[in-house]
Amino acid sequence: MAHDAPSSSFPLGRLLHVLRLTAQMPPPRRPPLPSHADSLPGCFLPLSWSACAQCCVDLKSCQTASIVTADASAQVRNHADAQVQTEALEPVSVQPPSRCDIPRLAAFLRRVEAMVIRELNKNWQSHAFDGFEVNWTEQQQMVSCLHTLGYPPAQAQGLHVTGISWNSTGSVVACAYGRVDHGDWSTLKSFVCAWNLDRRGLSPRQPSAVVEAPSAVLCLAFHPLQPSHVAGGLYSGEVLVWDLSRPEDPLLWRTGLTDDTHTDPVSQVVWLPEPGHSHRFQVLSVATDGKVLLWQGIGTGQLQLTEGFALVTQQLPRSTKLKKHPRGETEVGATAVAFSSFDPRLFILGTEGGFPLKCSLAVGEAALTRMPSSVPLRAPAQFTFSPHGGPIYSVSCSPFHRNLFLSAGTDGHVHLYSMLQAPPLTSLQLSLKYLFAVRWSPVRPLVFAAASGEGDVQLFDLQKSSQKPTVSIKQTQDESPVYCLEFNSQQTQLLAAGDAQGTVKVWQLSTEFTEQGPREAEDLDRLAAEVAT
Amino acid sequence: MAEVEETLKRIQSHKGVIGTVVVNAEGIPIRTTLDNSTTVQYAGLLHQLTMKAKSTVRDIDPQNDLTFLRIRSKKHEIMVAPGNLAFHFLVKLSFCFTR
Repeated sequence: MAHDAPSSSFPLGRLLHVLRLTAQMPPPRRPPLPSHADSLPGCFLPLSWSACAQCCVDLKSCQTASIVTADASAQVRNHADAQVQTEALEPVSVQPPSRCDIPRLAAFLRRVEAMVIRELNKNWQSHAFDGFEVNWTEQQQMVSCLHTLGYPPAQAQGLHVTGISWNSTGSVVACAYGRVDHGDWSTLKSFVCAWNLDRRGLSPRQPSAVVEAPSAVLCLAFHPLQPSHVAGGLYSGEVLVWDLSRPEDPLLWRTGLTDDTHTDPVSQVVWLPEPGHSHRFQVLSVATDGKVLLWQGIGTGQLQLTEGFALVTQQLPRSTKLKKHPRGETEVGATAVAFSSFDPRLFILGTEGGFPLKCSLAVGEAALTRMPSSVPLRAPAQFTFSPHGGPIYSVSCSPFHRNLFLSAGTDGHVHLYSMLQAPPLTSLQLSLKYLFAVRWSPVRPLVFAAASGEGDVQLFDLQKSSQKPTVSIKQTQDESPVYCLEFNSQQTQLLAAGDAQGTVKVWQLSTEFTEQGPREAEDLDRLAAEVAT
Repeated sequence: MAEVEETLKRIQSHKGVIGTVVVNAEGIPIRTTLDNSTTVQYAGLLHQLTMKAKSTVRDIDPQNDLTFLRIRSKKHEIMVAPGNLAFHFLVKLSFCFTR
C-alpha cells in the first residue's frame, strides 16, 4: 500500500511525527491528523494522545523586561609618580657646541684671551712666591729634651749606653748598657732597659722592662714587626733575642758559644726579612773577627746559622789602593753594617781599616778562610771605597736615594759616598774627636745626625749649609761622648741619643726637621749628580 | 667657530697650562680639554667660588667688579677669567717655584 511517508502503517511513525512537530517551532494551525488506525488490519490501539494532538499550539512572545541603567560619575584620587628605582647617574656631558651661542662665545674669548695670556706670562716669570710657603700646623722652633732616662744600677757600675733602638710602633725606646772601651769588663753583667714613652706615669729612673745579659751588650735592634722582640750582640760574640713582654723569662733565642759564633765582640745586629717569607725575619750580625753571619731562630731557643760570609784581605776588590798587609790571610774586622732601602740584598760594611765595602748577600765565591763553620762561608765584598783616616764606627744608607750613604769614624769626618765611585762625594769635619754614630733622617732627604765624642749631637741640613751643622745639641755637660743615636720613624720629631754617663735623652726636633720641603728629593739627586762630576 | 677653537688652542698650548675649561652662566661646561669627570668637578666647585668672589667684590664697592681670580695651591694654580655670560678657567702648573 503506498501511503505518504509521515503516515506510516505503524503507529510509531505517528508518534515520531508528533514528536518532530513539537520539537521544532510550534507549527501553525494544522488540520487534525488523519487517524489511519481504523483502516489498518490487525489490532487497534486507541491513541490517548491524539486528542491532545488536536489541540492547537499558539505562538507566544517571550521577552524579559528591559533593565533600566543610568550613568553616575566615578571619582579617582589624585596620584603622583614616585621613582623607586635607582639609576646610574648619567654623567653630565659637555653641551654640544651647536646648542650654545657661538658668536657670543667668540666675542667673550676674544675679550678675555689677551688678559689671560698676559697673566700666564706674568706668572711664570714672576718671583713673587719664590720663598713663600704656608704652614698650616703649629711651628716648633726649638729642639727640646723631652725625656732623660737612666737606669741607676747600671749607671752606678759606670756602664755606658752602647746601643739604642726604637720599636716597630715607635713608642718604646730600648737601650743597651755596656762598655765601649772593652778591657776586662767581659765578665760583668749588663742590662737592656726599655721605656714605654706613651705610658702614663713614665718614670725616668724606672724602665718598664729590664733584662740582664751575661756580658756587655754592644748593640741592639728591635724586630721590625713584633713590638717586643729585641736582638742584642754581646761582647762575648753571642747574639741573643729577648721578648720584653715576658718579664719572668725574656730570653727567646741565643746562639750559644759554638764554633759558629763570633770570636770577637759583635759590632752590630740587624733584622732582615727572610727571602720568600716577608713576615719572618732573620738576624744578621757583624763582628770584628771579619764574619757576617745570618741566624735563624728555631724552636728550641737556639739561633741556627743559615748563611755566613767572611772578609779576607786577599779577596777584597782592588778598586782603591789599600795599605799593604803582612802575608797570610788576615781577616778584615767589620764594625758597622747598613742595608740599602732599595735593594734588600745589598749592604755596606764599615771596617776597621777605615774603608767601606759594598757587599751583597747573593754572592757565590767561597771565602779563603780557615775559620770553622757549619755552613760554607762566602766572600761578600764587591767594591771598595776610599778609606777614612781611621776605623769606621757607623754607616747609614739613604732612605731616599739608592746610591748615597754616609760613613763616620774615628777621624772625626763624615764622608758622603755614592755607590758608583770610590772617592767620597763630600767630606765634612764635624769633630776633633771621634764620631760614633751617623744616621740619615727618615723624613727629610737632606738631613742627617751625627753623635760626636765631644758630647753633642749635630744635625746637618745639606739644603741650608753643607759646611756647618744647623743645630748642635749638647747632650752631656762634661763632654763625655755620645755613643749612639736613632731617629724614630713613627714619630718623626723624636731623636734618641745615649751617652757615656748612662743616660738616654729623647729630643724633640723642631718642625723644620720633620717636614719635607718642596723639592728636597730633587735637590738630593742634584747633589749626588753634581758633586760626582 | 674656527676662531673659538683657535683661541682656545692658543691658550691651551701656552707654557705650563694643564687644562682649559669654558663654562656658561649656569655652570655647565661648554668647552674643555680635561676629561669629563674632572671637568664637571672643577666646573661645579669653581662656579660657586667665583660667584662668591664676585658678590664679595660688589658688596664692598658696588661700582667695582671682579676681573680675575687666581687660586694658588701647592701643586697647581687655577686662574678664572669671568665674563657676563661665561667663565673661563685654566688649571695651570705653577711655575713660580722654579729658580
